[in-house]
Amino acid sequence: MVLFAAVAIAAAMGGAAYHLWSRSGGGAAAAAGSGAVVEQVYAAPLADLKGGAQTLGQWQGQVLVVNFWATWCAPCREEIPGFVRMQERYGPRGLQFVGIAIDQPDKVAEFSREFHINYPLLMGGLETMELMRQAGNRAGVLPYTLVIARDGKLVSREPGGLKESRLERIIQPLL
Amino acid sequence: MIRDSKSLLGAILLVLCGLAGAAEPELLEPDQAFRFMARLKDARTIEVNYQIAPGYYLYRDKFRFTLAPADAKAGTPQLPAGKLKHDEFFGEVETYRGHLAIALPFELDAGVTPVITLTALSQGCADVGVCYVPHEQKARLSLAAADGAASDVSLGQLLGLGQRAAGADDALIARVFESGFWLVVASFFGFGLLLSLTPCVLPMVPILSGVIVGAGHSVTKSRGFLLAAVYVLGMAIAYAVAGVAAGLSGAMLSAALQKPWVVGAFAAVFVALALAMFGFYDLQLPVALQGRIAAASNRRYGGHYAGVFSMGVLSALIIGPCVAAPLAGALLYISQSRDVVLGGSALFALALGMGVPLLAIGASAGALLPKAGPWMETMKRFFGTLLLGVAIFLVSPFLPVAVQMFLWGALLIVTAIYLRAIDPLPAGAHGYQRFSKGVGVLVLLAGLVYLVGAFSGGRDILQPLSGFRVTAREGEPYTAPFQRVNSPAELDARIQAAAGRTVMLDFYADWCISCKEMERYTFSDERVQARFRDMVLLQADVTANTAEHAALLRRFRLFGPPGIVFFDREGREIRGLRVIGFQPADRFVTALDQALGFR
Repeated sequence: MVLFAAVAIAAAMGGAAYHLWSRSGGGAAAAAGSGAVVEQVYAAPLADLKGGAQTLGQWQGQVLVVNFWATWCAPCREEIPGFVRMQERYGPRGLQFVGIAIDQPDKVAEFSREFHINYPLLMGGLETMELMRQAGNRAGVLPYTLVIARDGKLVSREPGGLKESRLERIIQPLL
Repeated sequence: MIRDSKSLLGAILLVLCGLAGAAEPELLEPDQAFRFMARLKDARTIEVNYQIAPGYYLYRDKFRFTLAPADAKAGTPQLPAGKLKHDEFFGEVETYRGHLAIALPFELDAGVTPVITLTALSQGCADVGVCYVPHEQKARLSLAAADGAASDVSLGQLLGLGQRAAGADDALIARVFESGFWLVVASFFGFGLLLSLTPCVLPMVPILSGVIVGAGHSVTKSRGFLLAAVYVLGMAIAYAVAGVAAGLSGAMLSAALQKPWVVGAFAAVFVALALAMFGFYDLQLPVALQGRIAAASNRRYGGHYAGVFSMGVLSALIIGPCVAAPLAGALLYISQSRDVVLGGSALFALALGMGVPLLAIGASAGALLPKAGPWMETMKRFFGTLLLGVAIFLVSPFLPVAVQMFLWGALLIVTAIYLRAIDPLPAGAHGYQRFSKGVGVLVLLAGLVYLVGAFSGGRDILQPLSGFRVTAREGEPYTAPFQRVNSPAELDARIQAAAGRTVMLDFYADWCISCKEMERYTFSDERVQARFRDMVLLQADVTANTAEHAALLRRFRLFGPPGIVFFDREGREIRGLRVIGFQPADRFVTALDQALGFR
């Protein structure tokens, strides 16, 4: 009988362990293949505020900070003044911010004027959501920021509001 | 002591929660953060529910609801007042946290659409400083279920089901799982508490009292409670493990628990326990086993606990038949979602709920147990009688009514004799003695009525003398004209052949108690038979449980009988109209009318 009980407990723990293992395994799979993701990021067709076709590939070779955001998203709005300041400070050294808005063009244009945004703003759509997921944003949250080095390596993926100090630590070694 | 037991339960549940919680990624997927559920409140209103995870919120002004097909039009949603949140960019915004219910009125132009699809758009954020893009969630709603009695599922109803555990509706229980983790666990704990009121728990009382008495003369309250807790824990873990294993393997555990020889074995155990209660012999573990347990407890302190724990594990088997219905629901969920943690936790909570009275007994260190003396003898006989009743109840689906009546009659008469129904009262009898004799005579009469019923061809256990009624139906009891189907291909062919008639498919098995109840009490009703004449009746007898049978069950995502599925005149399943578990004729007629109403 004691043996029976021991088997029962072992089975329960085994089940729990399997559960944990299967979850963590899923996360590791998404992290792999980030090189291919950058190719997709560079190639993704996006529109500017006037409706013209653009890709992020045009900034290949620069330190690229891709910020997914929206005007209706409060934490996104909080971090943007910091981005404007950093674009001003580090732009001459090869840092390029690009904002991709999951939003309506007129709202984005209005926001751009109001906050004096000094970097390109492009419009994202449903396929941009998929791109974000591929880049590791499984929950599909905003803001979400990718930092890509000059050599096309995905250096950092940042869900949530990004502090100026933290972003500086990430980009300093890349410039 | 009650507080102790609560905190122990809390600790156990916390550990379980930790298991589930530790594995969560930092950010929830939107479907998890904002769990969505919709149902028809009535024929004109949809109730949209969101269960919002702690630390997440939804904006009040971002909801959009649309309905498809186009002849269904959504009205203005009735959004409850939200919590005001100050946002430095947007000013005062209203947000929702926790549970949110929105009433959405709608109109139908043509009124023939059987199923509408609700698309709900919502937008929310997490406190950690991220927002989700507007998120689309869909629900299919079957209009047929709108005024059906089976559609409205409230927690109260679900708990009410536990009171008639024998005919409980496992599909409803499967639906409980759509609510949040804690609600599921709490509901199952509630089920367990209700099950503890059924006689199933009775056999555990003598086992546990034996355990506590065996622990020595100086049992303190805390030691008594600890012993009881170990015992209940053993039972609960056995349930969780067995449930998870069975759910993952897809085995029909509830089916196995209802096979005649299994039920017969349980009944035999109950009879054996009852006879022990009557004092025919002393119920003890085999001497060899006792010796080993004693030796183990002498070697180390924990030895006795291990023995008690394993007694708990074994006891889980004894209450098997009682928990078949909630068990089936939990298994259905585990097998479909593979969410082992939630399914296992639910069964664990169920068993803990059933164990609460046992914990109380343990905590009283035997004070609640009958003390030696005539009082204890009476108590034991009372329990014994109840146990015999449970045994008869268990085997009754497999016995002809006459035999059931004979058994009930015999039990009642013997009970009456124990109550001294025919002993003369002494001259100066107490009020208590007189009362007892009165009850005894009543029981004796009831027993006689059952005996007479058994030998006079009574057909209804609730109306034992119906055999005498001149107007009683002649000949054999009614059997519905079912055509047998044995495989998905055969089913398709029959549905095709039905050409324009409504089809009812009934899953049946010899071991299925509610199927027999349906046959005996519901199908035999004249109103039901009148409607049967306009339908094609198919029956899948899955007693043999072949691969074809399994394929049929899987097609309808059923775990086993009971289950009745309807098809409209074009051979499509009418979703939302399934009948799972016993339904009395009144309700079943409503379901048949709805099925016939589909074009």
